[in-house]
Amino acid sequence: MTATKDAPAPARRLEWQPALVRDIVVETPRVKSLLLDVTGWRGHLPGQHVDIRLTAEDGYQAQRSYSIASPPEDDHLTLTVERVDDGEVSPYLLDDLRIGGQFGLRGPIGGYFVWTTDIGGPLYLIAGGSGIAPLMAMLRHRRKRNSRAPTLLLYSSRTLGDVIYRKELDAMADGDPNLRIANTLTRKQPAGWTGYSRRIDKALLAETSFLPHENPKIFVCGPTPLVETASGLLVELGHDPLTIKTERFGPTGGQPT
Amino acid sequence: MNDKNSDHLLDGNAAASLLQDIFIPEVTTAQFQCIACSSTGALGSLRLYAAPMGVVLRCTQCDCVIMRSTLTPRGRWVDMTGARYLKF
Amino acid sequence: MTDTPISRGFGPRHREQTAQGRLPPGQYVTTDFPVLSAGPTPQIKVENWTFSLQVDGSLLGKWSWAEFEALPQTAIKKDIHCVTKWSKLDTTWRGVTFDDLLKSAGVATLPALYIMAHCDGGYMTNLPVADLIDGRAMIATRFEDLPILPAHGGPARLLVPHLYFWKSAKWARRLRFMRKDERGFWESLGYHNYGDPWKEQRYDGD
Repeated sequence: MTATKDAPAPARRLEWQPALVRDIVVETPRVKSLLLDVTGWRGHLPGQHVDIRLTAEDGYQAQRSYSIASPPEDDHLTLTVERVDDGEVSPYLLDDLRIGGQFGLRGPIGGYFVWTTDIGGPLYLIAGGSGIAPLMAMLRHRRKRNSRAPTLLLYSSRTLGDVIYRKELDAMADGDPNLRIANTLTRKQPAGWTGYSRRIDKALLAETSFLPHENPKIFVCGPTPLVETASGLLVELGHDPLTIKTERFGPTGGQPT
Repeated sequence: MNDKNSDHLLDGNAAASLLQDIFIPEVTTAQFQCIACSSTGALGSLRLYAAPMGVVLRCTQCDCVIMRSTLTPRGRWVDMTGARYLKF
Repeated sequence: MTDTPISRGFGPRHREQTAQGRLPPGQYVTTDFPVLSAGPTPQIKVENWTFSLQVDGSLLGKWSWAEFEALPQTAIKKDIHCVTKWSKLDTTWRGVTFDDLLKSAGVATLPALYIMAHCDGGYMTNLPVADLIDGRAMIATRFEDLPILPAHGGPARLLVPHLYFWKSAKWARRLRFMRKDERGFWESLGYHNYGDPWKEQRYDGD
């Protein structure tokens, strides 16, 4: 992987920095994006994530990881947070945090699940639910760079209302012959729906993927069962396991987040 | 003192730059081999468990523990004996 | 060095006031039951389940599920304390005490001072035998009158409520007497060897 001209400073021990909430965007009934100002942020690569740390007035702390949904070309950092029922951190971020609020942040973290336009395409992205976040950083970066790398996004959501960034994704695909987006809605579909209506299976992947000989860079992100199913099926379809990069989302080790 | 063996006397300080090269840069891209099933992959692809008590990373093929780490008030502990090697 | 920014309004959920003296230092009460695992949840069929008691590689006793369920059952109500700071009060369990297990195996004299509990999935934890006898520990099979869920360590887990809950090993299958103490999974990675919540023995050196 070659560094871009805007590559962040060489890796060093990460320190906690304050992140200030500049804006809050409601994406879906269960998802919001937090737009953050982080003083002295040195940049990141699409796909990387950050650790955030909430500190209560009595010193109690909780820490979680979130993917960076914004591209490095943005002047702020965007984290997209989905509600975890009975969680400890996401309800605070979604219900209590206000513009001007702050928390600790550390990053960027991760060199494995990363794509930049320098790496080139074809680019094959598979997302489940809020797993779209790091892939959105890649897609936004691709757009900012006016890349023509052939790109496919397969995005699995429960209902149409749960499709995060829907308008932005539609607009991206509309203007771009090299970007194709396939949505599958697994729980409920609107009248007249022409997309897929089921969980990802081998046939669905076969219809929506590049062929192995096209040597796509593959990124799969979402809940663990989706990630493991999709990556297993991709291997069955002939893709080299080493070209498939995965990132599993889920409550912290089983503990309610 | 011109002990002709002195050129071969090294300690951890001489290895410092080697250790920095290994441990400071991005490690999720490092390749490992599982000692139990010999499968290979990148550390970033491993399944993570038990995050509040400590990190346990298990092989996606056979569930063998590749790496364990805890953070205690007295320091961070790391056990990577589940990896036959790491390749950076 | 930057100050730690306070996130106004943040605090752990389910924080409750509780009767004095029931909470060890540094703990807070929770009403849910967090699941922490060092590995994937083993899906164990009781038809294939056995439990063993061993010393020096030889078997002192082995029970099938049916045999285990036929052993004397004991019901207890205890508070449990996790090293990650949550405590759950008045939890009810049912199972076979370590004393009854020894009796069933015909073990009259303790062959060694330490025990290593071995579990499906490879987890293990060490304890002094003194902390298992005299009603201090059981192999539990029911939580709140229902079979223990796989995610919580079912079909059977070790239960040693007077120590931090990592000692109450899930998916327990084998207790091995040891003449010398050996450190288990977390104990070998910086956690305290004994784990008394009242002395706040969370980490090695505490």
